[in-house]
Amino acid sequence: MNAVYSIIPAGVLSQVFVGLSRTTILFIVASGLTLILGVLRIPNVAHGSLYMIGAFTAFTVTQLSGGGTAGFWTAIVVAPLVVAFISLIAERGMFQFLYEREHLMLLLLTFAFSLVFGDLVKLVWGTEYKSVPVPPFFQGFVPLFGGLPFPLYNLFLLIAGPVVAILLYLLTNKTKMGKIARAAAVDREMVGAVGINVSRVFAVVFVIGCYLAGLGGVLVAPTVSVTLGMDHTLIIEAFLIVIMGGLGNIWGALLGALIFGLTQSLGILVWPKFGIIFPYLAVVVVLLFRPTGLLKSTW
Amino acid sequence: MMRKTALLSLMVFFVGLFTVCPLAHAQSTIKVGIVDTYTGPATTFTMDVLDGFKLAVNDINAKGGVLGKKIEYMTRDEKFKPDIGLAMAKELVLKENVDILMGTINSATTLAISDFVKKEKLPFFVTFAKSEKIIGEKGHQYIFNMNENTAMVGKAAAVALAKKPYVKYWIAGDDYEYGHAIADSLWNHLKKFKPQVQKAGESWWKVGEADFTPYITQILAAKPDFIIVATGGAGMVNFQKAAKATGLSQIIPFYQHTAIELSVLKPQGQNAPEGVFGTANYFFYYPDTPSNRAFVDEFKKAYNREPRIGALSGYMTARFIAEGYKKAGKIDKEALIKALEGMSLDTPVGPMAIRGCDHQLELPMYFGVTAKNPKYDFLVAGDVQVIQAKDYMPTCDEVIQSRK
Repeated sequence: MNAVYSIIPAGVLSQVFVGLSRTTILFIVASGLTLILGVLRIPNVAHGSLYMIGAFTAFTVTQLSGGGTAGFWTAIVVAPLVVAFISLIAERGMFQFLYEREHLMLLLLTFAFSLVFGDLVKLVWGTEYKSVPVPPFFQGFVPLFGGLPFPLYNLFLLIAGPVVAILLYLLTNKTKMGKIARAAAVDREMVGAVGINVSRVFAVVFVIGCYLAGLGGVLVAPTVSVTLGMDHTLIIEAFLIVIMGGLGNIWGALLGALIFGLTQSLGILVWPKFGIIFPYLAVVVVLLFRPTGLLKSTW
Repeated sequence: MMRKTALLSLMVFFVGLFTVCPLAHAQSTIKVGIVDTYTGPATTFTMDVLDGFKLAVNDINAKGGVLGKKIEYMTRDEKFKPDIGLAMAKELVLKENVDILMGTINSATTLAISDFVKKEKLPFFVTFAKSEKIIGEKGHQYIFNMNENTAMVGKAAAVALAKKPYVKYWIAGDDYEYGHAIADSLWNHLKKFKPQVQKAGESWWKVGEADFTPYITQILAAKPDFIIVATGGAGMVNFQKAAKATGLSQIIPFYQHTAIELSVLKPQGQNAPEGVFGTANYFFYYPDTPSNRAFVDEFKKAYNREPRIGALSGYMTARFIAEGYKKAGKIDKEALIKALEGMSLDTPVGPMAIRGCDHQLELPMYFGVTAKNPKYDFLVAGDVQVIQAKDYMPTCDEVIQSRK
């Protein structure tokens, strides 16, 4: 281990791991966004609001169940389902009638939903800051690199990220629905011509994508204060990651989230005062050399 | 011919009614226009101000109003955007004919409205904006500042920190004017009070930064004695959570303005970090006087939550407006301003005055540390020291100099 430290300082290693745990959240949310974008061709601006609803719902669930570790696991199960249910109502109630319309109309509709959801959150939960406590099981930190503390919860995120990535890969490549969805992303008319109910495929993909947004919201909740406005910051980052990685490409979302998360945390080490610009610089560089994104897009 | 004349006179009568009546109506109430942000995370503070204001106004109106007139107020949401805020202020003054303007939490909007009221010669009560320019270099006779500003906060904290043994400081915070202003004021005054302090380094993150772990690991590696954390809004709770998660709060002590305030500690329940230093201007539990308890009970009954500093600012704004008009004896803008200069009122936490030379409300400033308390299921301020207004407010000479 000491040999590694002589090449790479402990502080840098610690920052890399911190960046990776941030990547988990970004990837989960961005993968949902890119799924919906790739298959349904809808830029879902409401994705950030669904993430916010996930976080607020996690707050309510942990409050109701007493706030312990069990409460947190309950929240991880329940909150994304709540978000998925809300998205199902939106999809069946409005979106499914508008798939033939142009993309701009669908974008405007999702934008309208984001505004409505934003105010709904204010109505239901009020304006005060909420805080979801770190579950007792993950409280505390491990002195990982040269004595520098690494929060246990971040370790959990580091493991959760790849787990979700593997599950998504299995879902899209090894299940029948996944294969149909990938086909629909490339050529929806052909899929319809073969006799498959494209509308149903779209519903499933949309709900799964929004479920991922809710899941991201639950996972991020113990690390931040849950407030109105958290949807705005996230949706910009999520869209940039999706564009960087290639529209509709889940591995692209992972790559984009990796780049974004790592440049964020390492940028702070390199230039603390201006560390915040590095992820956006990375986006500019990527788009200059690969305007369609790093990996193949489905559009 | 008779029917036509009758119809015509009826029309003239009704037209006359509608033109005369609004004029008469406008003179029968005192109109206060409130421009503030009621969307997004800032709403938690602006609702405090509005609710505190409403509490006092309902009280005053129930007792007959001011000089026989009731206080009427109307709110406008600026959505934290200065151009919208200024447009709203103009609409309130030019179309609604308000007598007084109140607001806002956005310093940029406040400065823009300040420029406007200077030309319109209308009193403007600033309730939550913290830029020192408002009452300092851009101040004038129509501005009344009902809350603290970043220069005052920095100086007060420096007074308290100079007495502590820390020498090697790290400065960090939200990368916008509020954060830099507090940090600059604190550091400049601290160096004056205790010349041997050294700055080990600085880190600044974007406003609304959610993940502080990378910044915290960097600070821990530098091993300073103390950290000045200039965060605001949602950053307060975010930083405290990250400090607890990384163990920073147990390794290196740090200070944030309002770290010991209800808005930051209540959401975290028992999980807030202990031992965090902070300054604040109001606690519902300290001082535990009958007048404070009465205010807290009244507020809780009306709004189902404890009052915080915004509520006190809003409440006192209404009280000063009412008492100012009463002392002036007439509903006149210049007379109100004259009456308010130097006026002292009894507040839930003791007497407070509006300083005559710059129209700054002389609030108490408390310095304390977060601590658990068996009476509440959230942390509160412990080891509270009171920092007198004369020790942290700039002198009248300094303010007048800066306005030149």
